[in-house]
Amino acid sequence: MPLLQVKNLTKRFGGLKAVNNVSFDIHSDEIVGLIGANGAGKTTLFNLISGILHPEGGDITLDGRPLNQLSPPRRSLAGLGRTFQIVRPFAMTVLENVMVPLLARDPHMGKAREEGMQVLALLRLEHLADTQPDSLTLAQRKRIEVARALATRPKLLMLDEVLAGLNPTEISENLPIIRQVHEQGVTIFIIEHLMDALMAVSQRVLVMDQGAIIASGTPQEVTSNECVIKAYLGEETPNC
Amino acid sequence: MSAKRLQLLGITLLAAAIVIPAFVDSRFILQMLTLIFFSIAMTSAWNIPVFGGKMSLGHAAFFGIGGYTGAILYVKFGVSPWIGLPAGVAVSLLGGVIMTLPLLRLRGPFFTLATIAFAEVLRMIAIDWRSLTNGSVGLNIPFKPGWANLTFQSGAPFYFISLILAIAVVFIAYRLRHSALGFHLRASASNDEAAQALGVDTRRAHFIGLLWSSGLTGLIGVFYVFFIYVVEPNTMFSTTLFSLQPALNGIIGGIGTIWGPVIGAVIMTPLGEYLRVYLGTIQQGLNFVVYGVVLIVTVNFIPGGIVSLVRLKSSNRSNGSGSPSGATEAH
Repeated sequence: MPLLQVKNLTKRFGGLKAVNNVSFDIHSDEIVGLIGANGAGKTTLFNLISGILHPEGGDITLDGRPLNQLSPPRRSLAGLGRTFQIVRPFAMTVLENVMVPLLARDPHMGKAREEGMQVLALLRLEHLADTQPDSLTLAQRKRIEVARALATRPKLLMLDEVLAGLNPTEISENLPIIRQVHEQGVTIFIIEHLMDALMAVSQRVLVMDQGAIIASGTPQEVTSNECVIKAYLGEETPNC
Repeated sequence: MSAKRLQLLGITLLAAAIVIPAFVDSRFILQMLTLIFFSIAMTSAWNIPVFGGKMSLGHAAFFGIGGYTGAILYVKFGVSPWIGLPAGVAVSLLGGVIMTLPLLRLRGPFFTLATIAFAEVLRMIAIDWRSLTNGSVGLNIPFKPGWANLTFQSGAPFYFISLILAIAVVFIAYRLRHSALGFHLRASASNDEAAQALGVDTRRAHFIGLLWSSGLTGLIGVFYVFFIYVVEPNTMFSTTLFSLQPALNGIIGGIGTIWGPVIGAVIMTPLGEYLRVYLGTIQQGLNFVVYGVVLIVTVNFIPGGIVSLVRLKSSNRSNGSGSPSGATEAH
């Protein structure tokens, strides 16, 4: 049974079908990439899965459990983690940021502090534990975003452009973290604009265009797919 | 200021507060200090939901409900004030539930505006429900001094009651802020969407925060009624006295912090009394003009409140880690 199952998911904004009858599965232990031009519906799809937006139709199941009726916090407790494209850490220290999700699961302060430090160590942020995030670089704040989501101990972690806006050095620093998180046994679903980076980590890639998934396959298959090339070059795609 | 020095300052002030009644027999000064302690308690209780960014301008509602419950039970039914206290808390909590549930969906200023209406409605009910509240005349607490009746000849007992009340509420606020609830409220205040995505039931957190706040405010209300010997709708449900004043104290001292409300109450209570007595007699309402000016100056020049001026010194150190990685690649 797939870990995440999305069936016929549809979301309209007025007349625009932002997500149009989308179906796909993600299996345990995969790293699945999601690409597509601006406005293709990638973040909307994440928002539907995490419960921030409500679909007009379709079903979402995580580990066999239907998510449609659950609130965002309940989905998080069910094992769905996510980061946000625009990183806005809480106005508290880095360690306290990571303690927020831990305390939502167990109110024990000392334990949350201890486990928070472990998560920070995994993301090489432990030296910043007592720092206020607003004094940190974008790369560091994006790592906090991942640390926070990872502290929810998700079955599926959805990463929304955790590399965008970073310089090449920072990308080479942050990229291994995605693999490292995966090695912890977390299944990953990742949106990324930087094709090279995405192709380097993903085992399978989904391509979205105008709200629909137009291709799915290994990075090699997808990059040689005619529809994908056309969609990226902005041509009319009547055959796809 | 270092943490150790602050601790020392706190202990000194506390010791001074305990011995003051032994040396000062000016009724005026004891009364003023008692009002300051009530104000500290009131502002700190008001401040609990503000950890989560929910600012109420309707706390007079809980204050009045508590006070009226204690007074009605005592005056009309002869029930001891010591039973009136928990009863007042219980009814205020009920008020908290009734107010909070429909308002929780509202964000920011909309929540704040809706809370004003709540206290106003209760004031109207207190005026109109004459058989229970004696209308706009209100109820007088009969003067029968003794601990059993929570009524006293001297000012000292209420001085200590209000001091203990202030310390207790500040302590509770401190514990809540540093608990899971406090973390959830603070997370929700800075980024509610992210907090929810991390598994925090932020609506539940706001609800519990408001319940603590309303219950404590009701408790303070009961004590206050026995301190001033009277309940009367325009005082107990006074928007200026018990809804705006705590908010004002909090904003000037520093909202959402532990010491901001304390500092705000200590400064604003005597200032308020002074302005009311001296300016209020020249032209009614002139004291509020000064309030307005103080508020505008604070919000514009020290938006974090007075407490943020003290904070600055201690938080400069933590920025050492800097941002070298961004600069190196840009060449």
